[in-house]
Amino acid sequence: MTTTTNNKSPNVGAIVIIAVAVALNLVLAVLMARWSYSWFPPQASSAAPYVDDLFALETGIGSFLWFGLTGVIGWTLLFNRAPKYDESYGEPIEGNNRLEITWTVIPTVIVFAIAIYSMQVNDKLDALGPKQKYALGTDPATVAAVDPRATVGPIDVIARQWSWEFIYPDGVRSSELHLPINQRVNFRLISEDVNHSFYVPAFRLKQDIIPGSVISYSLTPTREGRFRLRDAMFSGAYFSQNQTDVIVESDEAYSSWLKATAKQPLQPGLSPGSDLYAKRLANGDKGWATVPPAPAPLVNDPGDASIPHDA
Amino acid sequence: MTSTKFDPRILKAPHPVPGAPDNWKRFFSFNTDAKVIGIQYIATSLLFLLVGGLLAMIVRGELITPPADLVDPTVYNGLYTMHGTVMLFLFLFPVLNGLNNLLIPTMIGAPDMAFPRLNAAAFWLVPVFAVLLMGSFFLPGGPAQAGWWSYPPISIQNPMGLFFNGEQLWLLAVALSGISSIFGAINFVTTIVRMRAPGMGFFKMPLYCWTAWGAQIIQLIGLPALTGGAIMLLFDLSFGTSFFRPEGGGDPVLYQHFFWFYSHPAVYVMVLPVFGIFSEVFTCYARKPLFGYKFVALASFGIVFLSLIVWVHHMFYTGTPNWMRILFMFTTMTIAVPTGVKVFAWVATLWGGKLRLTTPMLFCLGGLINFIFAGITGVMLGTVPIDIHVGNTYFVVAHFHYVIFNAIVLGVFAAVYHWFPKFTGHMYYEGLGKLHFALTFIGCTLNWLPLHWAGLLGMPRRVASYDPEFAIWNVIASIGAFMLGVAAIPFILNMVSSWARGPQSPPNPWGAIGLEWLLPSPPPAENFEDDVPTVINNPYGYGLGEPQVADEEYYIRRAQEA
Amino acid sequence: MQLNHTPGHIKHSGHNLTGFVIFLCSESIIFLAFFAGFTLFKLTSPEWLPPGVEGLEVRMPLINTVVLVSSSFVAYFAERYLHKGNLWGFRIVWFITMLMGAYFVYGQYVEWSSLEFGLGSGVFGGTFYLLTGFHGLHVITGIGLMGLMLYHSFRPGNYEKGDMGVTAVSLFWHFVDVIWIILFVLIYVWQRY
Repeated sequence: MTTTTNNKSPNVGAIVIIAVAVALNLVLAVLMARWSYSWFPPQASSAAPYVDDLFALETGIGSFLWFGLTGVIGWTLLFNRAPKYDESYGEPIEGNNRLEITWTVIPTVIVFAIAIYSMQVNDKLDALGPKQKYALGTDPATVAAVDPRATVGPIDVIARQWSWEFIYPDGVRSSELHLPINQRVNFRLISEDVNHSFYVPAFRLKQDIIPGSVISYSLTPTREGRFRLRDAMFSGAYFSQNQTDVIVESDEAYSSWLKATAKQPLQPGLSPGSDLYAKRLANGDKGWATVPPAPAPLVNDPGDASIPHDA
Repeated sequence: MTSTKFDPRILKAPHPVPGAPDNWKRFFSFNTDAKVIGIQYIATSLLFLLVGGLLAMIVRGELITPPADLVDPTVYNGLYTMHGTVMLFLFLFPVLNGLNNLLIPTMIGAPDMAFPRLNAAAFWLVPVFAVLLMGSFFLPGGPAQAGWWSYPPISIQNPMGLFFNGEQLWLLAVALSGISSIFGAINFVTTIVRMRAPGMGFFKMPLYCWTAWGAQIIQLIGLPALTGGAIMLLFDLSFGTSFFRPEGGGDPVLYQHFFWFYSHPAVYVMVLPVFGIFSEVFTCYARKPLFGYKFVALASFGIVFLSLIVWVHHMFYTGTPNWMRILFMFTTMTIAVPTGVKVFAWVATLWGGKLRLTTPMLFCLGGLINFIFAGITGVMLGTVPIDIHVGNTYFVVAHFHYVIFNAIVLGVFAAVYHWFPKFTGHMYYEGLGKLHFALTFIGCTLNWLPLHWAGLLGMPRRVASYDPEFAIWNVIASIGAFMLGVAAIPFILNMVSSWARGPQSPPNPWGAIGLEWLLPSPPPAENFEDDVPTVINNPYGYGLGEPQVADEEYYIRRAQEA
Repeated sequence: MQLNHTPGHIKHSGHNLTGFVIFLCSESIIFLAFFAGFTLFKLTSPEWLPPGVEGLEVRMPLINTVVLVSSSFVAYFAERYLHKGNLWGFRIVWFITMLMGAYFVYGQYVEWSSLEFGLGSGVFGGTFYLLTGFHGLHVITGIGLMGLMLYHSFRPGNYEKGDMGVTAVSLFWHFVDVIWIILFVLIYVWQRY
């Protein structure tokens, strides 16, 4: 491998152009990083600010790289084009070991720095507890690990094809998840049929729910409002309808809701799949095969799907 | 040079169909010539690119409005499942095997592949499993609907309880595809290891061969693991076992390990050859040697090794314990380094070159820019906290389409144009090619760039309906998708008319360096036959004034006289 | 001119063996996947043995193991005879290898038919039949290939181009053997600990 060394005096013009380009690129990268905060739903959990900061950092570094590299490619497109009928060659440089080592070492340092920072952010999220296998048909609560730092819960989150059911410690059942603000809440994630995923974009948190296992999961909501809870692991025909709302409210509102709901009789909760499946049967059962939806869960508070969500 | 006695039978690749027709009919026969098989692969796969694209356009048509109003959700699920399956197993793998068949023997100076009959068998499995897969549309209950991952338990629910069902045909088709790929991989690896021209040490081998070699090694290591998982899934579906069925004590997550142990590296099976294409095309049209050839070559094997130890990053939120998430985050991040080495080398190759913006060059430049973008979103997805938020959302869909379509497929188009004159003997029409590029590049950017934002806002993937706040991104994406459909028209026109009546191509229309360009266009049945050149210099010696092979003038003259 | 361009690498005719070795390496990964699955199930299943099943009888399988493992040595001696040009010695010893393989398959059949659990008996039943069945298929394939080689040995001039086929089949037989040893340790020996 030949190394071409340039012994000519430094080219001032080139240095100025490169310096200006790098400075411009840095400004652009910082602007992109700032802008990236607006690409997310509102921050509604203690985890969200950490995730958004990490994303902004990666957006900044990524933008610097992308604009830098496309800038160089753009430069060659503008100034290194062969004129028509020019059959000559470019300068036959075969490589430069110093440059190769530089662009191996610097990216290694950068990605490891990002990884170590991500590790710290991951510790801050501190959401995932142990996952315990249990034999289907036995009570998962007996094997589930309880999060000692949680002040609310454990709330059972039961996912089905295609409905959500939430069971609070005092036995209250609901179709929408009610949570008090600024308290660490512990869930037992349970699926009765296939894989589902507990995903609340405003919380920036997602956890798959695996049948045959119970997963202990904790988070702290930090913003009042009505946020969308979406099933994010494909679960069959009416997967896209398998959504409900998380209602984060003040401590008082939460406890009065619990008290009022405990007095409500059990009634069928939200089960958007059931309605669509009934419509499908009424239309002659057209389409490709699907399992029928699980019966709507019996809950004290069925919620109201028509209320618009905040995020 | 020493003169050696050799057995002429070894040189002649066995042709079990003596006197096979030398016209179009040979493309419909069990022909054992790698160049015929290559074109068979490419033509078949481009046909399925249209099929897969059509499925994609129905999917995008459904998603242009928030509610599920175009097709029933079950039909939607089947369509996107088949879209992914067709694109991977009937378009990308076959098209790359086609390029391997055309390029590997000609680039290393071999008369044919090591096992010509195995090669033909590998190709003819493609139509067989294509028929199986397409046939599953007509089953009662429809085709597989569990996504191309086919995760249990959803994939083994078998709603109608029939023994023959879409999922079963899907598994059989994927298994046959795996057998075909293994046949191919054994062939390509043996050919590269055993049949290189004299003087062609590994560090004088073109980069396409390096990357194809690495990719096929991944196939050999990864595919059996998927096969193992698929066998167990088939038993669960059809024979009452419960490997992945929680009711019988099975573990659904185990399947995900089997699946991703292969299917993450599978991305590198597809992208590595495209890295090779980039290296060939950039050097040729920038008229410069490849910057840091050895680094780029070795980086391929760095990628091969790392690709096999990153799969758990697809399972950061499935309950994977924390130490494992951190471990696999680090391996995943490391893979950015050898990939970066390649990217920087290509950019340095362009720098100070004499760029000629032909159609293949445009496709590669577009592919490179998109690939850098996809690499950056890939690093984002590799970090656990970001992945927890955007995993399984449209951010991932956008990311992997940026890799698979915007980089890989653009690279494949570049290869098809670049080597079209060599293997058909006709030039393509540059104007139509550039129109194809413009439509493709604008279409794919419109299609997948906006979906990143839909994902960041929390739109899950695989949904048939969605909340109205995501509508704007989906409308733009659907317009882009339809534009990609339109882009097929100039491409098909170009290919068909150029092959039928395009101007005759000289042996080396681009002034490229490489053994394949020392052959006539199209090359004769056994390439160099018993007159294989001896390689004396590195590939990509653009502007160095060194001949790549001994007696280069002789081969150039011979090719021109043919 | 022509003599200046003689091919070097292409001269080797050992592609077949190269290809076969690559195939075996690849094939071993399917078994590796099954072994990994078995290990994971055994370590994490809430219920491992199906109700009413105590464990597996080891004595018969142990005899089977001895027969199969020693057949690998017998196959090696058959190869030695072939290299020395003793064709009948090769045929006889090769046939003994086949018989030992057949005995192994018979032993497997006897064991399977005496078991009180089936394919659907939880992950234990599933993995047991999957592993032993998939291995058994390989043994049967190996016997078939050996039969083919034996048949070919009667063709005049069969070994003029070398005895690659016998080498490959014998390699396959050793491979099947090694797989069985791992399998035996996992399924039969490990249940005691």
